[in-house]
Amino acid sequence: MRWENRPRFIAIPLTVIILLLLLFPFFVMVSTMLKSGQDVYSSPPFWIPTHIEWSNFVMVWTQYRLATYFLASLIIAVGATLLNTALCVPAAYAVARLRFVGRKFALYLLLMIEMFSPVIVIISLFKIVAQIGLLDSYAALIILDALFTVAFNTWMMNGYFRTIPKDIEEAALIDGCTRVQTMTRIMLPIAVPGLVTVMIYAFIFSWNEFLFALSFISSKDKMPLTIALYNFVGRWTTQWQYLTLAAFLAIIPVLVLFYLIEKRLVAGLAGGAVKG
Amino acid sequence: MAATTLSLKQRLWNPEARLAYALLAPTIVFLAFFMFYPIIYVFVMSLYRTNQLSELTKFVGLANFVDRLTDHEFWMAAMRSVIWTACGVGVKFLFGMVIAVLLNVKYRGRKAARLLFIIPWASSVPISTLLWQWVYHPEFGLLNHTLKATGLWTNPPAWLGYPTSAFVACMWVDIWIGIPFFALVFLAGMQAIPQELYESAHMDGAGGWRGYFSITLPGLRDLILISTLLSAIWTFNDFNVIFILTRGGPALSTNILITSVYMNGFIDLRFDWAAVQAVVTFFVLTIVSVIYAQFYFRRETD
Repeated sequence: MRWENRPRFIAIPLTVIILLLLLFPFFVMVSTMLKSGQDVYSSPPFWIPTHIEWSNFVMVWTQYRLATYFLASLIIAVGATLLNTALCVPAAYAVARLRFVGRKFALYLLLMIEMFSPVIVIISLFKIVAQIGLLDSYAALIILDALFTVAFNTWMMNGYFRTIPKDIEEAALIDGCTRVQTMTRIMLPIAVPGLVTVMIYAFIFSWNEFLFALSFISSKDKMPLTIALYNFVGRWTTQWQYLTLAAFLAIIPVLVLFYLIEKRLVAGLAGGAVKG
Repeated sequence: MAATTLSLKQRLWNPEARLAYALLAPTIVFLAFFMFYPIIYVFVMSLYRTNQLSELTKFVGLANFVDRLTDHEFWMAAMRSVIWTACGVGVKFLFGMVIAVLLNVKYRGRKAARLLFIIPWASSVPISTLLWQWVYHPEFGLLNHTLKATGLWTNPPAWLGYPTSAFVACMWVDIWIGIPFFALVFLAGMQAIPQELYESAHMDGAGGWRGYFSITLPGLRDLILISTLLSAIWTFNDFNVIFILTRGGPALSTNILITSVYMNGFIDLRFDWAAVQAVVTFFVLTIVSVIYAQFYFRRETD
């Protein structure tokens, strides 16, 4: 009998209990999102709606104009992802493959600023963004969202480039390819899984970003989902059935994307011993 | 002498190095403008008096620091940050370890369980925090209703309404988000430990707990250190949960360093105070980041 086969009868019930605890807010979300307003605000509350209010689906798109916020989130996240990729792929190639003075320092610095908190610089960023006239613009969020993941993504991409055997590249160089050509035609196609990972990570980060959007976006039409939903919460009149439904719809895309990269993300964060 | 200067110049300025600089240049320029310069500016700002438009009005040297560091609320916020981080990381660690052990048991459906365990980390933090606000609702929230209905707690508090319970409620949401990371890291580490080790230990009569303490934990040592450091940084930095749930209230009971930077600046319009807190926070975080980078770097280059 294998060592790990025995505790199954303890493991399964315990797993179920912890899952019930951890998924509690999502049960609440699902319970609330198709309730009628009357059901939501009944005391004491109850889990099963008296009837399924399908019209909530219509309401969030019409009265709450969810499409506007989805579009804003999408523009910001796609823009940030593209800028992020354009910055981190060349930088990663340089630190992974080229010899230059300061290479080690660059790698070290990337790790150092990987977890840098934007809150620390938010007051000076506000001034800078105001000075260059980007307050209340997508551009500000695209630049900042892209930038605050660039260190981590460069580090990740550097890891992928390094796993590619040097011989492949050297052969191409001997055949007369330039460095830039080997990078774009040989290295990048092999590193596609890595590229997908950093792009998804940049996308998720921007989709979920809250602080920059909170600080720099003031017009309603430009608000991404996070801020729009945050503003839905009024003091007395929060219609939680719409808010939970909107939350459900906003979470689904990032959840799916996250599943695609979670193993590589953990490997990138924890380093060597964990393989993606 | 001449040869070494020449070689240094060659090392700095050969075609390969030039290409490297060119490839790094855009990232460096962006980082310099939107990260390094703002850091320097916060340092400068902390030495000035500012007006409500965050303009620098008068150079005051370290007066802002003296002002803040002798302020009771600053130390309260610092203490809350310490408690927040220490308790937060501790509980995340324990939950993560238990879940990893559970997921390392082979049974049908454990892949599905793994996917479900990830959800709190995979979801958007601001949005799931909004969900928690509804969960915690004193009158219509299903948490208190469930606690009462199941008899687990007949008289639960209005979570976000009172200082202590608000702090605990915020901390729990932060913990809840951070658990899956530990679970995934530990699980990956456990699965990298060769099965034979357990089998031979089992033959020697060291199964179960002894196997865990003599094989699993030592095998996870490096991962435990690195994931704890990372989690400490994230936990210390958690602005979103507190801002969305309580904005530091009630009565500043959930005001920690990272949220007070924002609140001092954008709510109280005391940008000089905010800058001081930002500088202090910067040093704390830099120390932890250096340890993380050192450790990670050493392992990678071994």
